[in-house]
Amino acid sequence: MSMPKGFKSKTGYATASATYNGMGYREIAEEMTKQGFKMNHSTARNVFLSSMKKIAKEVCIVHGEEISSHDMYRIVADPRFQSGICEILSEM
Amino acid sequence: MATPGMLDSYFKQVGNYNLLSREQEVELSQKIEKGDRSARDMMVNSNLRLAISIAKKYYRPGGNLEDLIQESNIGLMKAVDRFDWRRGFKFSTYATWWIRQSVSRFSMMNSSLVKVPSHTKSLYFKISRLTKEYNEEFGENPTDTELADLLGTTPSAIKTCKDTNPFGKEISIDAPIGGDSDSRSLKDVIPDDNATDIGSLIDREKISHVIRKCMSKLSAREEKILRLRFGISDISENSDQFKISNEEFELIVKGVE
Repeated sequence: MSMPKGFKSKTGYATASATYNGMGYREIAEEMTKQGFKMNHSTARNVFLSSMKKIAKEVCIVHGEEISSHDMYRIVADPRFQSGICEILSEM
Repeated sequence: MATPGMLDSYFKQVGNYNLLSREQEVELSQKIEKGDRSARDMMVNSNLRLAISIAKKYYRPGGNLEDLIQESNIGLMKAVDRFDWRRGFKFSTYATWWIRQSVSRFSMMNSSLVKVPSHTKSLYFKISRLTKEYNEEFGENPTDTELADLLGTTPSAIKTCKDTNPFGKEISIDAPIGGDSDSRSLKDVIPDDNATDIGSLIDREKISHVIRKCMSKLSAREEKILRLRFGISDISENSDQFKISNEEFELIVKGVE
């Protein structure tokens, strides 16, 4: 997924190492390829964001919010959202 | 606590002891050096009036004069034990400093319910005096660093002393605000920064359920990527924990709506 033209993040970009002890997309792609899921870093990112979208969509339903796909992308890419999901998943 | 009558009686009793001449002071001091207990008692008794006089200067309404006199007498006894007649000073000149020190320390230690070390109070005095002088000279208050340099201490010590305010008045946490007994007390309005907001806790629990439901719907590939990206334990190993029934999920969503 290419960045929307003129897009400028107000909240910074989510980085795996800065926000949590996770891997970068290239590292993920390498690890997944080793495990038999052949992919490059772009695919890793697309799959990650797609998964996050699924979660975000359900969260929006719970809160009774209707979000456009553009706004959904902003939410999913927001480091605060990713950090929050990471925190909840870590506690599970 | 002594009654006023007892205090008057004490004053009368003290008045019966004659003041000492310089020669008598020297003579008694020499005897005290040799271990004469009666000479020591006489020296103390003859100067009790001085102790009372200094104690009265430190007395404030609401305070306890008996306690001040007692501390004053302790200071007097220290002075008697340490007086060196060879230096040629009058005993009262020497004793005054010991008595003042004893009474002022007692006053400082008992000026508030919260015990603040005397050196902190002393530092506070110095800060106040220096700030006043600095302000008069330069027309502005000195910074903590300047105060620290002038007083030979650290800026953090200055800041701590200022924040502590050893002479601040204590207030009860149960005292009603505004004096009305039916009004709220101080403890009712102090926020608990560590308290958990129930609303956000419930909200978080609901979102947690939703995420569990979503996780159970993700493919193995998506799940692995999420796990690697977030650096969390193997979700597939704990996949049973994420599974909730469709009915449970519907109930959660309906509950929120």
